[in-house]
Amino acid sequence: MTGASATPGAGLDRRPSWLPEINLKRQEEIAAWLFLAPFLAFFAIFVGRAMLAAVQMSFYDWHALRPSRPFVAFGNYEELLRDDVFWFALRNTVIFTAMTVAGTTVVALAAALALTQPVRRANFFRVLLYMPSLFSVGAVGLIWVWLLNSQFGVINYGLSFFGIRPVNWLGDPALVLPALSLTTIWWAFGFPMLIFIAGLQGIPEHLYEAARIDGANGRQLFFNITLPLLRPTILFVTVTGVIGHFQVYGQPFIMTNGGPGRSSYTVIFYFYHTAWASFRMGYGAAVAVALAVIMAIVTVVQFLVISRRVEY
Amino acid sequence: MASIHPTRAWHSNFRANLVLVALSLFVFMPMLVVFSQSLMTNQEVTRWPPQIIPVNPTLFNYNDVLTRQDLRLDLWLRNSMVAATGHTLAVLVICAPAAYAFARLRFRGSNALFALLLVTIMIPSQVTLIPNYLLMRDLRWLDSFNALVFPGAANVFGVFLLRQFFMQIPHELEEAAVMDGAGYLRRFTRIVLPLSSNALTALAIFVFLGHYNDLFWPFIVTNSLETRTLPVGLTILNSAYGMQYRPMVLAGAVLSTIPILIVYIIFQRRIIQGVTLTGGMGGR
Repeated sequence: MTGASATPGAGLDRRPSWLPEINLKRQEEIAAWLFLAPFLAFFAIFVGRAMLAAVQMSFYDWHALRPSRPFVAFGNYEELLRDDVFWFALRNTVIFTAMTVAGTTVVALAAALALTQPVRRANFFRVLLYMPSLFSVGAVGLIWVWLLNSQFGVINYGLSFFGIRPVNWLGDPALVLPALSLTTIWWAFGFPMLIFIAGLQGIPEHLYEAARIDGANGRQLFFNITLPLLRPTILFVTVTGVIGHFQVYGQPFIMTNGGPGRSSYTVIFYFYHTAWASFRMGYGAAVAVALAVIMAIVTVVQFLVISRRVEY
Repeated sequence: MASIHPTRAWHSNFRANLVLVALSLFVFMPMLVVFSQSLMTNQEVTRWPPQIIPVNPTLFNYNDVLTRQDLRLDLWLRNSMVAATGHTLAVLVICAPAAYAFARLRFRGSNALFALLLVTIMIPSQVTLIPNYLLMRDLRWLDSFNALVFPGAANVFGVFLLRQFFMQIPHELEEAAVMDGAGYLRRFTRIVLPLSSNALTALAIFVFLGHYNDLFWPFIVTNSLETRTLPVGLTILNSAYGMQYRPMVLAGAVLSTIPILIVYIIFQRRIIQGVTLTGGMGGR
């Protein structure tokens, strides 16, 4: 008589008889770690271990072809700070990133504002404008290196109608970064455009209606409603843009090989050369760690600048 | 609104259309020029003023780029497809259960572990490249699919995205399954996963595209002509033939975009929704 209902909920426990009895909370905990195990194994090897190893290696003179790896403490970092090539690459990267993020943000915002108006064939335009974002940097580089060609490129041909003489876009130290930036804006504005569309759709329509009743014109609506309420979106777009474009490598690698001279040599280019052309793995690890620190600082600064005055 | 201020609505629509037409030309003209010049001969392309419409369109360059001995676009495309597919499957298989654990199961250290993972998203991937490259070398994985598939399979962003999605699934659905005696694995595979096909597809598309378009990692871990991926192959094509045979290089660029364009045309709605959903960061 008592056997059937010994403990409440016993019917739910499908434990095989050979397993020791464990309570439900403990069971849940074990299940959780089993679910996590494959991920954590991969994470530990390819992310956790790798990050710690990079920091450790950055304190050694670790050359891929030499057996001895002397400890140099902050020697690699000191060398990095003294290396003019690194600073020049950093300068190029900062200029490229600033132009590209500004350009993509403006173009993306213009496209998003247009696409959130009641226009015909909005979906067609959206699909077309996002298309270049799907191309590989290889295809983008091959397309634009030819369009920007000084002798036969259609960009110079287009400019010739305005009386502008052929411009050596990729061969002029002053023009190569703007040219690569234009290429990248073409390639990459689609993502911020879609994010801006989502941001604009999140702004309540009644705010515009109220302002219109008060007699606000289009410009006032944009600067007093759209832009302030879009601030979190702008923050997201610029932060992800800076992080992404700071790691620029493919466009100069394909289109200019860092040239002319070192005019389009970037930080990731420098990183690649130290580790895979000079085989200096320890120094390369120091470059990567420095890059992480620089990007963390830039991100924090952006947060402070853009999220200020967000209260409206 | 339009009925109250017909002229203003027309005015703003006109401006919007103008912006869209201008941007569409900016986006479309480079593709059009490159496609049409890939149908021209070398002589036609190296001429001033440049020709936009081919007089005698020819597929010669496409034939040329596919048959040269030192170029293997067919293999590169296959490698990219196989590696990106394998990597995407690995990410889904590894990340979905982890996301379920974070979304549904209570265990000690859950929040701390999740916070730790999120911190690592902020660290640029270059930090892990050198140690992972040396690991590939020591495992003798250089020049193999393993090197393209497994590093990066623990995609923290994927876990984050799927966890958000799993948390929105009502608990009641799982409780019903518990009543039927389903264990955690059954609840995960029979209830949570089928209800999350949108999020899984969005993540899969982005992991796939990110991997398919990656240049740096495949460039350093592959070194023979047969194991290169398409983006790496395009840089080889450009540096070998960019000077003498430009239309052939353009044909290679056009060919490389065709698989992506097909995927895009089929999945355009999902891709565009997915970008907004994932923040476009599913890839590496």
